[in-house]
Amino acid sequence: MRKILFPFLLCVLCFVWTSTVFAEVQVRLRVIGASNDKKGIDPSLKDIYKEIGFLFNFTSYRLWRDENLTLSPNQPVSIATRRRLIEITLVGLRKDIAELKIKVVREEKELLNTQVRLSPGKTVLIGGGPRQREGIIIYALYASFKPSNLPTPNNFAPSFR
Amino acid sequence: MKGSCSALSELLEKYFDQEVTDEEKSFVNTHLVDCHACRDSLRSMEKMRDLVKAPVEEAVGEEDFQWVWQMIERGIRKEERPVFWETLQRWLQIPLTSKRRVWIPAVAMAVILFLTLPLFFKKNPSYQSADVVEYVQSDTNNVMVYESENSKVTVIWLFEEPATETPSS
Repeated sequence: MRKILFPFLLCVLCFVWTSTVFAEVQVRLRVIGASNDKKGIDPSLKDIYKEIGFLFNFTSYRLWRDENLTLSPNQPVSIATRRRLIEITLVGLRKDIAELKIKVVREEKELLNTQVRLSPGKTVLIGGGPRQREGIIIYALYASFKPSNLPTPNNFAPSFR
Repeated sequence: MKGSCSALSELLEKYFDQEVTDEEKSFVNTHLVDCHACRDSLRSMEKMRDLVKAPVEEAVGEEDFQWVWQMIERGIRKEERPVFWETLQRWLQIPLTSKRRVWIPAVAMAVILFLTLPLFFKKNPSYQSADVVEYVQSDTNNVMVYESENSKVTVIWLFEEPATETPSS
């Protein structure tokens, strides 16, 4: 019986382990500086300008940072730009929806603490807050899912919380 | 006498090894009473035996026959192990209710499956229609959450301090 039960339990453990270990999400983070002091759109922001131009009335949009982040469960990734730091943590992955915990910190003061569900084709914009010398910071977040990253059959993936 | 001694030499060896019949034994005994040469050769056989016996017994005592036997028994058991098909046939012949070794593992397996399967086949709630933002907290600024009509863009906006600046939606 041991010969049957042991491999069976081993398979179950491997299955659970691979589900959590190989669950990774690629997130693109663009840090945009928006202001009314100047005029002009950064050419690399043309694809997103339709959205941000419709939502905000700034005259200038500059791309300050463009990062492709690989997020692993419960591993925070921080990006610091112009005295402001954004910390993103993957806390759950279900089907093709990534649950991200996001913190925005400025001079050790937590400006924002939020949790969002990011899916392909969707954009989350986080902006505002205390004005920087160069303007307002807008964080644009997109998630991309490779099929291999989707962890298990039946699109199941555990929540990491 | 010498002729009878040479005829007896083979019998004497058998006598020494205690392989003779009662008749042969009494014949050799009678012969030994009168024959000094045969008595000597019997004595030299005994001496030879004693000389060999002691070192052999010593060597045997040093050998680990227990281990050898274990290996032999293991080999025998391996040869006797039934093939998978025979084991399966034997299992199928066992009445299910009468053998512990059938239903205890079966119950254990069922319990494990019962506990683990819901984890793997659980239907996930659809978040497609749910809100993108689960929660928002800010101790320093007022926050607005805006979702576009086609829900492709979600905006989390922190109002500026002390004045406010809002998106033009």
